[in-house]
Amino acid sequence: MTIPDVAIVGGGLLGRLLAWRAALGGLRVTLYDANDRQGNEATAWVAGGMVTPQAEAVDAEPELVAMGRRSLSLWPVWLSALPTAVHYSDTGTLLVWQRSDAGEGRRFEAMLRARDTQASYERLDAQQLTAKEPALENRFREALYLPGEAHVDNRQLLPALADALDALGVECHWNRRVEDTERPEARLVIDCRGKSAKSRWKELRGVRGELVRLHAPGIDLKHMVRLLHSRYSIYLISRPGGNLVVGATAIESDDCSPVSVRGALELLSAAYAVLPEISEARILELDCDCRPALPDNRPAIRYSPEARLLEVNGLYRHGFLLSPAIVEEVLTVLPQFLHNPGSTLGASPRWPSLGAREGVFACH
Amino acid sequence: MPDTMTFYGQDYGSRILLGTARYESPVLLLEAIETAQPALLTVALRKQIQGGSQAGQSFWSILRSANRPLLPNTAGCNSAKEAVNTALMAREAFETDLIKLEVIGDEANLQPDPFGLLEAAAYLVKRGFKVLPYCTEDLILCRRLLDVGCEVLMPWAAPIGTGQGPRNPKALRELRDRLPDVPLIVDAGLGLPSHACQVMEWGFDGILVNTAVSRAIDPVRMAMAFAGAVQAGRGGFLAGPMPVQEFAVPSTPDIGRPFWDEAHRFMPQEIA
Repeated sequence: MTIPDVAIVGGGLLGRLLAWRAALGGLRVTLYDANDRQGNEATAWVAGGMVTPQAEAVDAEPELVAMGRRSLSLWPVWLSALPTAVHYSDTGTLLVWQRSDAGEGRRFEAMLRARDTQASYERLDAQQLTAKEPALENRFREALYLPGEAHVDNRQLLPALADALDALGVECHWNRRVEDTERPEARLVIDCRGKSAKSRWKELRGVRGELVRLHAPGIDLKHMVRLLHSRYSIYLISRPGGNLVVGATAIESDDCSPVSVRGALELLSAAYAVLPEISEARILELDCDCRPALPDNRPAIRYSPEARLLEVNGLYRHGFLLSPAIVEEVLTVLPQFLHNPGSTLGASPRWPSLGAREGVFACH
Repeated sequence: MPDTMTFYGQDYGSRILLGTARYESPVLLLEAIETAQPALLTVALRKQIQGGSQAGQSFWSILRSANRPLLPNTAGCNSAKEAVNTALMAREAFETDLIKLEVIGDEANLQPDPFGLLEAAAYLVKRGFKVLPYCTEDLILCRRLLDVGCEVLMPWAAPIGTGQGPRNPKALRELRDRLPDVPLIVDAGLGLPSHACQVMEWGFDGILVNTAVSRAIDPVRMAMAFAGAVQAGRGGFLAGPMPVQEFAVPSTPDIGRPFWDEAHRFMPQEIA
């Protein structure tokens, strides 16, 4: 039996997506994950699944915004190639704020203009907002609308990717932890373990994120709604089956223990401010996980020729926003390392900042 | 003699204290620190405590790499007891006796609770803490804080995060006049470099900013602007401002101008 071209360690969102696209491209791929095919231990399980490059422009540098735009164009094409249907909605984002936070709306516009040369958004007054999103009727005096932004149902996607891997005959080793000292047999190993790869990325830190899942069958938001506030940034997303996801806090902490009372209060009171109707919604889950982040909160790729090891990490809050663009990039550089394992990773071809960055992570 | 800010036996060459919350990334925060060259970096830990001693370490080790003294705070504490417990944990986590004491009395505007603040300050000073209390500009509260052993006070300019600038300038200036020898650092509510410059001109010893820098469109540039403003304001104070005059006083002699001695003829009656 020939050895696989690529062994991917870590089957979260990035690992699964990469394994699938690599296999589709004709590579022999194996995937290892410490947990099961459902993916409910993955960081992506606790996520809004948002692909919102413009809405993220307030917190992300221009190149990340551009990568997000690229992902936004890839998601629908890729999802339609999956054997299982995954809910995807690209009706855009509505940004709202309370009267006392009008400055936040202005700040958002200024940031967006500074960071996204392709920015396209609409200012809405109360009437236009009500027409667009009846659930928010008369609740806000003004809003911004960012068309085309999308969200993916994260919890449908992870098992759907596992199905797609099965359909392609990719060898998946679920519930199989690969230790740091171990190297799966393959021409090249790709480490996509996220926060579990902390021992290999000393600069990697956790940023704790909390979110709430509600069952609110009477409420169907047609758009993602983000509440701009001077202290919090809270979004609400409707999911199939009458569910509503409310996220997310961002706390500098490696602690992944259950949601704090303050976190729950912040999320729920913000959600209540947007949609008082949720008062009778049922709380399905309070979820928490830590996003893996590098000091500049940007993702990174690095390659160690001796170990024939490619590592991708630091997707922070941006797993769904960036994964397709990163997968595409990895698949661009992969042939070089397969044919010439001793070569080094220069500037990443399409997204230069994915490569080595001084002071942000150590290169091997 | 270098112009230093001194409290609890320590001299600081810088008069800026920089908060470390809400930056887009730690790297951006480090750049802002490098630019502003603050005397101290404040750091919150209330949200990390419950997660165990390691929970905040990743972020804190990045802060330590800036090689600036850290000033833990008790942000998010709503009672003296909670603030005291947080201070005790901060001393352990950061190995410092310094504590920026915040006891919040109102969730909406994060206004200090003077009673809880005084109680917590008294308790902590007795246990060897060097307390920097976040307070209002109330003279009596400030005196009581000094009475229980605080050596430096941090009166607010405006509620935390509002960026309004000094809301009650007369009271702030009166506080400065009444406590001439106490280091006073204006904390909270500064939004613009001119706010910082203004309070420094009034003779305050330093300022603390966080969101004014971290939430600017370009935080590093704003950090530089604040550093310049503090320097300018301090310089203005030290240089001794000229007295304010009711009327224009020419800085060059008028002799030689045509009709200089008849200027009064053209003055409106009510002014002349």
